[in-house]
Amino acid sequence: MSLNANAPLAALYEVSKAYAGRPVLDGFDFALEAGSVTALLGPNGAGKSTVAGLVTGRLAPDHGQVRLFGSDPRTPLARARMGIMLQAGGLPETLTVAEAVDLHAGYFARRLPTAAVLEQAGLAALADRRCDRLSGGEARKVQFALAIAGSPDLLVLDEPTTGFDPEARRAMWHVVRVKAEGGAAVLLATHHMDEAEALADRIVVIADGRIIADGAPAAIKAKVAATAIRLRTRLAADRFRAAPGVVKVETVGADLSLLTTAPRATLEAAFAIDPALQHFEVTGASLEDALANLVQSNRTAALKEAA
Amino acid sequence: MMTTALIASAPAVYARESWAEIVKSARMPQFIIPTIALPPAFYALFALAMGQGSAEGATRALATFGVFAVMGPALFGFGANIAAERESGQLELKRLSPMPAGAQITAKLAATAAFSMVAFVLLYGLGLAGGVSLSAAQWAMLVGVHTLAIIPFALIGLGIGYRLGQKGAIAVANIVFLAMAVLGGLWMPIAMLPDAMQAIAWALPSYHLGEMALMAAGQREAANLWLHAAPLALITLAAAVFAWTGEKAQAR
Repeated sequence: MSLNANAPLAALYEVSKAYAGRPVLDGFDFALEAGSVTALLGPNGAGKSTVAGLVTGRLAPDHGQVRLFGSDPRTPLARARMGIMLQAGGLPETLTVAEAVDLHAGYFARRLPTAAVLEQAGLAALADRRCDRLSGGEARKVQFALAIAGSPDLLVLDEPTTGFDPEARRAMWHVVRVKAEGGAAVLLATHHMDEAEALADRIVVIADGRIIADGAPAAIKAKVAATAIRLRTRLAADRFRAAPGVVKVETVGADLSLLTTAPRATLEAAFAIDPALQHFEVTGASLEDALANLVQSNRTAALKEAA
Repeated sequence: MMTTALIASAPAVYARESWAEIVKSARMPQFIIPTIALPPAFYALFALAMGQGSAEGATRALATFGVFAVMGPALFGFGANIAAERESGQLELKRLSPMPAGAQITAKLAATAAFSMVAFVLLYGLGLAGGVSLSAAQWAMLVGVHTLAIIPFALIGLGIGYRLGQKGAIAVANIVFLAMAVLGGLWMPIAMLPDAMQAIAWALPSYHLGEMALMAAGQREAANLWLHAAPLALITLAAAVFAWTGEKAQAR
């Protein structure tokens, strides 16, 4: 194989992809490095699964180029080095967990022993359970087991912890970290900020098919971090919109909620606007809210640009 | 080289996939009972119990019921099972794995053949008990025709399974199953049907296979073989195109 030492393990170059005439990605560039976890973060429909599908060769680009291990992802050789957990993945209903894992592992020359896969995926106790008798979270663990069974160099996980309890989530995150430390590239598509933060070396935030932020988790967090200030006022919401630091104003019941990046300045301005202000409450905005806000402000900016 | 170290041995994958397919279906009573037990049960009821012990009647019915016995595993095993696996995403995951492309179809064919064989053994046993007496050559030809029947029905099932969801595939497979049996003359000779319906039989693989099975069992003039072998070959070709285009249509 003529794999350039400097070439990324997987890359999309100027890729465009549309579904039924609706563009999902347009001129998208993206690369993955070995030995690290990259999280694709964004709201549903942002294009995360499309990126994952293009990297794995599940989808073909309309324009542009996709390279995996220096070749086309749709080759048996590329497939032999890839482990995939799709967002919707059924299991052979009447096979046991161990049988299903063993069958899938058998496709790979570098397969792990079934017992080791079950252990890593937290399925040792469920080895003899039939796949149609698993809970949603247990079935998800089996799909994770299938993804790691072939000792992949690229592990692609699309919303892997749906239906998991917190303990099972942390256990899976640990295994994913171990795989990355062992040299695998991991691509994680998620809409959970906490999952991306706990797992990833790098977070790529995408919205409407474009990368709106790309960096280490701490940097992304700082970018989206915000504070929510809740006020009880008789004044109209619009009066507060221009206050310093305010990125969003919402009516919540009888109160107003101001999302701000400069809480002190916002609060001072709020007292100036409404000297009668009595009740207020300051809380850290949830990361999910902050992320949604980042996506929203990106959309607004794009609209202004277009106008 | 790295190449050889990465690709799993293909014969081993084919063998494991085939075994898994047999195990999967064998654990589904709702699949096994109608597909394996129904043909021998119908044979015992209609041909033996109601046939007043005529050896000729038992032989004729054995020939056509052997074709009938293949249709269940082929139409439902391919049609409904492939549709279910496609809908649930299992097929997609396999397609993205290094599993050789032919392993899935080979495994399904192996399972269809295995379940058909079980039905054959039950049918032939009942036939012998019911007075069927054939020469070794006739038995060999009869088994050959019955086994050959797997191919067109499996292709039709495949074409249905690639095009429809699980529920739709089951419904359509049921209609095809019944139409093939009744209009193809597998349960009773088509001479008992109205003329207009008799004409349809010529387009059905079940009719031609039934006639060929009757020839194998010495119940028809074998000189007319080409009259059925040629249409059967054409129908099988059309079924192959039906399956192939279905496979292409669902690959993105």
